Amino acid sequence: MGHDNILVLDGITKKFGDIVALEHVDLSIRRGEVHVVCGENGAGKSTLMNILVGIHAPDGGKIVFNGKETTIRDPLAAGAMGIGMVHQHFTLVPSMSVAENLFLGHHLRHFGFFSDRQAMVERAGTLIDTYSFALDPEASVRTLSVGQRQRVEILKALVFDAELLILDEPTAVLTPPEVEELLKVITNLRDRGRTVLFITHKLREVKAVSDRVTILRRGKNISTHITKAVTENDIARDMVGRDVFLMGRQGQGARAFGKNVLQLENVSITNSNGRLLLDGINLDVRAGEVLGIAGVDGNGQTELAEAIAGLIPVQAGTIRLDGTDINNASVVRRQEAGLGFVPEDRLDRGLSRNMSIAENMAATNYLRAGILWRGFVDKGRLAEFTQKGIEQFDIRGAKPSLTVGSLSGGNMQKVVLAREFARDPKVLLVSQPTRGLDIGASEFVYSEILSAADKGNGILLISSELSEIFALADRIAVIYSGRIMQILTREDADEETVGILMNGGKEQAA
Amino acid sequence: MSYESLLASVLEQSTPLVLAALAAMITLRANILNVAVEGMMLVSAFSAIAVGSATGSALAGFSAGIFGAVGTSLVFSIITLRFGAGFIVAGLGINLLAAGGTLFALERWYNSPGGLRPLGFPEMWHVPEGSLSFIPLLGPALEGQSIIVLLTVLAVPACWMFLYRTPTGSYLRAAGEDEHAARSAGINVVRMKVLAVTISGLFSGLAGAQLAMDKLHFFLPNMTAGRGFIGLAATLFGAGHPWVTASAAVLFGFFGALGDRLQAFDIPAQFVLMLPYLVAILALTFSRWRIYVRNKPAKL
Amino acid sequence: MINANLKGSLHALIAPLGAIALTMALGFLLVAAISDEPVLAYRELLFANFDSLSNFALFLNRATPLVLISVGITFAFRAGVFNVGGEGQLFAGAIATTVVGIAFAGLPAVILFPFAVIAGIAAGAAIGWVPGILKVKLGVDEVVVTLMLNTIVLLFTSYLVNQVIRDTTAYGAVSWKLPEHIWLPTIPGIPGATSGFMVAVVLSLLSWVVLFRTHWGAEVRSAGTNLRYAEAVGIAAGNRVITAMLIAGGFAGLAGALYVLGIGHRFEQNFSPEYGLIALTCALLARVNPAASLFTALYYALMLNGAAYMQISTEVPRSLVMLLTGLLVLLMTARLTRKGSNSQTFDAF
Repeated sequence: MGHDNILVLDGITKKFGDIVALEHVDLSIRRGEVHVVCGENGAGKSTLMNILVGIHAPDGGKIVFNGKETTIRDPLAAGAMGIGMVHQHFTLVPSMSVAENLFLGHHLRHFGFFSDRQAMVERAGTLIDTYSFALDPEASVRTLSVGQRQRVEILKALVFDAELLILDEPTAVLTPPEVEELLKVITNLRDRGRTVLFITHKLREVKAVSDRVTILRRGKNISTHITKAVTENDIARDMVGRDVFLMGRQGQGARAFGKNVLQLENVSITNSNGRLLLDGINLDVRAGEVLGIAGVDGNGQTELAEAIAGLIPVQAGTIRLDGTDINNASVVRRQEAGLGFVPEDRLDRGLSRNMSIAENMAATNYLRAGILWRGFVDKGRLAEFTQKGIEQFDIRGAKPSLTVGSLSGGNMQKVVLAREFARDPKVLLVSQPTRGLDIGASEFVYSEILSAADKGNGILLISSELSEIFALADRIAVIYSGRIMQILTREDADEETVGILMNGGKEQAA
Repeated sequence: MSYESLLASVLEQSTPLVLAALAAMITLRANILNVAVEGMMLVSAFSAIAVGSATGSALAGFSAGIFGAVGTSLVFSIITLRFGAGFIVAGLGINLLAAGGTLFALERWYNSPGGLRPLGFPEMWHVPEGSLSFIPLLGPALEGQSIIVLLTVLAVPACWMFLYRTPTGSYLRAAGEDEHAARSAGINVVRMKVLAVTISGLFSGLAGAQLAMDKLHFFLPNMTAGRGFIGLAATLFGAGHPWVTASAAVLFGFFGALGDRLQAFDIPAQFVLMLPYLVAILALTFSRWRIYVRNKPAKL
Repeated sequence: MINANLKGSLHALIAPLGAIALTMALGFLLVAAISDEPVLAYRELLFANFDSLSNFALFLNRATPLVLISVGITFAFRAGVFNVGGEGQLFAGAIATTVVGIAFAGLPAVILFPFAVIAGIAAGAAIGWVPGILKVKLGVDEVVVTLMLNTIVLLFTSYLVNQVIRDTTAYGAVSWKLPEHIWLPTIPGIPGATSGFMVAVVLSLLSWVVLFRTHWGAEVRSAGTNLRYAEAVGIAAGNRVITAMLIAGGFAGLAGALYVLGIGHRFEQNFSPEYGLIALTCALLARVNPAASLFTALYYALMLNGAAYMQISTEVPRSLVMLLTGLLVLLMTARLTRKGSNSQTFDAF
């Protein structure tokens, strides 16, 4: 090979029941490189990482670490071998200090029984200095920002001298400046001789940080490239298996729209510290139009959706639905006025997993669909209504009486869509509609959204997936730090411009 | 009445409450709302009197009390942590089982459903007069008290040391605060919870033994009379912190001691006895209200 | 479809029936260990209730408060509130009815009877409202609040019955008797059996319809299973939770009212063998289904009363039932497999 490989995966296969999550995946990581594994949701990235840290055992293939074939029993064993994992969801205890968190489970001791707090603070301080992270080892994690917490998380892996550091979608929770910081940290780690395996599906990050990139698609590794030698479009094509930008409405030209159905004027929301979460938002959506809100997660999208849906009050500004002021209207009033809402997290606001599919699907439709008779539920009509939704949205494995929790993620999302689309709302507020779905399910969701627009519904699509925005939106509004940076028509928008705006418009896209 | 003797009587009154509060506190830190303290105390009180009177040995009675409560805590651990029963339901079950079991034993073996009053009962070991007089105020107040009172005074700083200054205490808190984080740091969360429940059994055992063995020397059905729940209230009031929790328990004990005095002013005992419970509800409400106000969005 | 539903409900029955069977088996072993006549003891425990009409009447009287409280608790549980406050709500209802009945004894029955019943319901509902509103508005843990309220209410009734309305001619902490014209009639044909039982049966079936066949019931259950979802689909979720707690308290209050009007005819401080806790057991054993809790409450009434007959006929103490109840509560939510939680169970409990 000529190269010193720290890790080689050879023909790794993993099945969950009948579903093949990984099929003969080969991967070799060179010592001291930053290697990105990218792929769409459901491509098998997480499964692969879980195998590397011992959470799942592979059904076939071998793992060679530092030249020796090994099996990784559990995360502790992985840590002892020198594989450190930085999870997407933090594993920190908020009430404890940075130092205590770094040594959680491995406290340094005095007299064998007491914690040697001073030694831990000193060791933590040295480590922080080594990587020049601005952190106070005695600060309680509760007081840290998300970006700082992530650095603690990285340090946790480094305390035990991880040679290979795996970062699982680390930028998903960060604000744009924090992403920049993280990318610098990764470069710094490489310069200090660590090997970094970085999982992402964001193309810009791939280009910005990696030496080599491996693309997974539907559980298979499609290609490995030297990053410099390929363009973002090449990577995207390999990820999806065709030209992404030809999906949806790309290249269809301008469409004709009706009147304004949703208008936001100067809408502002603050948090308890007085910081503006939404800062004077002005938007309008016309009948038959898809307005896409592009942006990195955590820039006010959640608040925007909840404010329109009527779940949180606005401190200033006006929201109009079909011309009428709905600022003080209840959730039900807004529904009656013609608003449909697909929340960003289906298990949080979208569904009640312990209730039946029928009750979930009927929740906003009892009156409209004639399921009620003087407040009593007509079980026959309920079953009929649900069955229609199940067929129309092709919800597999569904029966009206089953609990929603028994469905897969994609089919759960279809229950939410079936419920909201059934009312034929004037305005559909759709938030992160394909999060966690595989490509097949995503395509189905795309086509439903587009056909709703064709029927004349106004659609506000909030998504942090740029490809989704480009595939569906007629106009693209970019949100950053609670503000709408600019609204572009699809013809005028290109990924570079939108990418710059998403990051606050300050830096050049790589 | 001198300060020492006042302090001494408050200490004596509140010892079972402080122990019950520590028992509930240690489990709360492992994220378990422990309503079973009441039942574990009852088992301890019964075993202490039954074994103490049968053997004539205070040490045997004391040990039986501790073993009884720790044994009960193990049943609680197994049914919840191994067989997945809910902590609250199982805790209520433990209380019923303790009440029913002790009553059953009284009826079946002692033929006296009203209680167990042995004719002679061995004295507990007491702190000798003059042995602690070098400690100002607290020393003289402790002299002449049962050994359990002394242990309780030591248990509060010991709990603090354990929770905040030892690795195991730290891991226990981590397991209670964020199971996912604890598990990924290699901490055995179930083992930590079992440890917490067992320690709470130990404290409950001390509480029950003190209640039955110190002055009373008898056992009555339901003699714990809600002290386990007051302990729980003190813990929630103190948000699981040893010093605040113990202080709250002492305060609640003080209200109990006050009950008799206040009747002289025509205030019925029941209203004084209510105080700890009312204070607990108000304190919980107040602490949640503060969080609510703090999280309110600011004005533009 | 029908077959699948039947299978589903059979499956749902396995866990509670298993817990009951295991408890009864353990109890039998215990009885066999201390008694020469374990079979006789168990016969008395389970079947002596049907030996005479008067035994049967006592059995129905015992079941009445249990059915009502557990149906009420079902509303609370379905709304996601772990209401351990049945005992306090029951006492509040009983004392309120008693106080009204004694204070206005001169009023005619047509006015006094509804007044007394409504006072009982309102008092229970008020005690249920406190933890409900605290949970909804501020997120205060309802288990602690209901536990504390139980003691507070019991102390309060103890004050009233000892210091204010105590029957000075009687022994123990009991109030004056209620005027006879507002006593509840007995069930025709079963002398001594309170007609309150009929009320309980009707209300439990009605509650099933309300919870599982009305829009309002669906809204309550939505709020109980996922409050944030319920808000998003436009349900006034907080309102539903508070209403459910008012109903829960109201049912327990009604149980107290019907007890003093139909069975005790006065307030007795020790009238309840932990009805609140046993009713909670009944509700959970019935898998939080009001119609099913009719049966679990009857089963419990059977045991509670049977214990007395058992003690008379054999030397087995009646406190065996309390012991068995403890065992049953302990085993009730346990599962044999470590991660055997299915979507039907109430994970939070």
